[in-house]
Amino acid sequence: MATVPRLLTYQDIPVWRHILIIQWTAQIVSGVVVVALVIWFFTNIGNAIQDRDIPYGFSFLSREYQTPIGEHFIPYESSDTFLYAFGVAITNTLIVAVAGVILATLLGIVIGVARLSGNWLVSKLATVYIEFFRNVPLLVQLLFWFFIILALPPVREGYVIGGMLYVNNGGISLPWPHVSGYAAALTWVALAVVAVVIGVALNKWLSYRETTTGKPSYPLIIGIAAPLLLGAIAWLVLSFATGDSPFFISTPEPQGRFGRIVGGFTARTGLLVMLLGLVIYTASFIAEIVRAGIQSVGRGQTEAARALGLSPMNTLRRVVFPQALRVIIPPLISQCLNLTKNSSLAGAVGYSDLTSVALTMTQTAPAVSIFMLIMGAYLAMSLTWSLIGNLYNRRLQFGGRR
Amino acid sequence: MAAQTVPPPAPAPIPDPVLPPRSEVGVTGWLHANLFSAWYNTVLTLVFGLIILLALGFGLNWVFNTAEWTVVVELGGRFIIGQYNTEAACPGQNCFWRPQVALLLVMALLGMAWGMSGNRVARVMALVSAGGTAALALLPYSMETMGLDVRLLLVANLPALALGWALARYTSLGTGARIAMLGVAVFLITLLLLRGLPGVPGLRPVSVIYWGGLMLNLVLAVGGITLSLPIGIALALGRRSSLPVVKVLCVTFIEVFRGVPLITLLFMSQVLVPLAFPENFPLNSLLRAGIVITLFSAAYMAENIRGGLQALHSGQEEAARALGLPGWETTLLISLPQAIRNVIPAIVGQFIGLFKDTSLVYIIGMLDIVEIGRVFVQGNAEYRANAKEVFVFVALVFWVFTYGMSYISQRIEEHLGVGRR
Repeated sequence: MATVPRLLTYQDIPVWRHILIIQWTAQIVSGVVVVALVIWFFTNIGNAIQDRDIPYGFSFLSREYQTPIGEHFIPYESSDTFLYAFGVAITNTLIVAVAGVILATLLGIVIGVARLSGNWLVSKLATVYIEFFRNVPLLVQLLFWFFIILALPPVREGYVIGGMLYVNNGGISLPWPHVSGYAAALTWVALAVVAVVIGVALNKWLSYRETTTGKPSYPLIIGIAAPLLLGAIAWLVLSFATGDSPFFISTPEPQGRFGRIVGGFTARTGLLVMLLGLVIYTASFIAEIVRAGIQSVGRGQTEAARALGLSPMNTLRRVVFPQALRVIIPPLISQCLNLTKNSSLAGAVGYSDLTSVALTMTQTAPAVSIFMLIMGAYLAMSLTWSLIGNLYNRRLQFGGRR
Repeated sequence: MAAQTVPPPAPAPIPDPVLPPRSEVGVTGWLHANLFSAWYNTVLTLVFGLIILLALGFGLNWVFNTAEWTVVVELGGRFIIGQYNTEAACPGQNCFWRPQVALLLVMALLGMAWGMSGNRVARVMALVSAGGTAALALLPYSMETMGLDVRLLLVANLPALALGWALARYTSLGTGARIAMLGVAVFLITLLLLRGLPGVPGLRPVSVIYWGGLMLNLVLAVGGITLSLPIGIALALGRRSSLPVVKVLCVTFIEVFRGVPLITLLFMSQVLVPLAFPENFPLNSLLRAGIVITLFSAAYMAENIRGGLQALHSGQEEAARALGLPGWETTLLISLPQAIRNVIPAIVGQFIGLFKDTSLVYIIGMLDIVEIGRVFVQGNAEYRANAKEVFVFVALVFWVFTYGMSYISQRIEEHLGVGRR
């Protein structure tokens, strides 16, 4: 066993020239400097807060917020607390983020595939789309859509498509399922979930049977038809049992002289602009990711699949796309994260997202605490996205090694 | 083995070459292959052709008939320098010449870059920028709105470009390192010119709150781009370091800055950061915004560069070490150059992102090119209906810059032969 001095010295070279000593000194010094800077920063802020009598702490969270929030999807009154208002704002952000991610991914895949299309016109059109929307700041696009929607005619003179879809300066209203009785509705949703699970299981089992025995088993058709049938039966039974259908489709209807839209679902200007802007902007990035992913799959894969007699659609679906996904998922997740963060521009177009509500709160509540809450909320969302991405990525990687 | 005496068969007469069918070559061939190769392609072509025609018709009609471009004309120079030349910013004197002289310096620099490299991209870029700015002198504004001095300074961009070109060609200034140093100098001189110097008669200080328009976006973008790359490289190396303390610090920094939206950080820089410094500390809102944008971008840059370093084959580093290169030189001379070369598109994408993000300074009340348009439209009821025109114009301005950046990056990539080895 060598003693420590023996380990650290070599011939006549002094101990302080040993690589470990140098590295650890540097590390400790840099760590101390950074920690000192951070402490200095926050002590100064703390002092300033005390000197200038700025309120601090988190006691404000249980106070009444007393400020209206423009748009909310869970019930909200001005008399609700700051904490609850914060929750309302987070729901608003989450709604835009989740809806935006789903729509942007779909649009992005379509455009990414279109960009690789053999049809010259389609591929050029996709290129123009990508090169334009990717290169213009999101804020400019949001403001453009915002003023476009504001310039639409008012409700009474707005556009009505098929008597169901109302487009006007208040946003877009469309038919939407409404709940008639919560018990029946929840039962039906539960049954529908069971039906979908049965459908998926059927699909798996039938495709397994088809690949092992060669008997045509129609896994896709049966897998879709079975849950539909089960859902319909559940619907009918529930309707007979309760005398009312679990859901009904409510259509929007303008009422009153100025035409307030009642019924259906209205995507008001803020939400509509956010979705339009975020989806169109993010889709241009996702399209490039999808294109790069598809191109990363060797040509031989496509050629081999075609030579085996797979149709172009099946080649893409069963051979190219599963392999491309491995390249696509990590940057796609980071785009989802970007979309979530970009939703913080909502304040510019009058949508009450987390950032805009929180920044308004700084007028009546301690700014330092608010910032901590915002940062915590966004970091939690980022972490959730990374977690989803990592889990999915791991599954794909294992799939590849089987 | 028996000797074979069978004479070789007489060569078959070469058949006349069969020409490909006429439907497969030339214009018809191209049309057939790219637009009408199958029935579904024909349908796609017809449907999208119709949509494009309709959209083009609508768009052109809007641009030339429906759109009211007077609002853009009315805003005019404010798009470029914001409120810089207003009475409030520059009482009792004309300040327009300061940004314009800065522009002349930039143009000379561009000329030097062209003179040094002599390649086509640099030439096109230099000529288009100088020609474009000089052409602004021909705008049909009245002489009261846009004086002769303004126009002359705009035209002077052409000789400035030529001067830069000649300097690079015929003096010893025309090397990459010297031009880079001059670039830093020009950036600092620009800041000095715009900010002014107390006590110097012509250079009365102009508060940064009056800096605005495209000038503001460009100042923030250039500063941010120059600084975010080295900081990002340092962070990326720190994140891959084997030293735990350094690694933890870098990871924390990167993840915190990447996890929070930029406008929250900007707002924080305005509300929180001043509290941490003594009053009268020389850290104005522009500088704070610039620092936040730079650090935010550096965090992303670090991840891009880390990707490049990870993609590098470990044999490169091992070979360098085996040849006796010390650790730092291995990183600086072997790993980094290759890593950066491989992620040029991502780096330029981040530069473009940074340039686009400069539009977010609206949150701290600075009037950049977007915000000045929005404030004008919302403040003047008669122009409320023309907001579309304003934002289409602003979008085009941004697009010209960002597309130019991505075009240059593609040329650089071709030049370096990325993907060919």
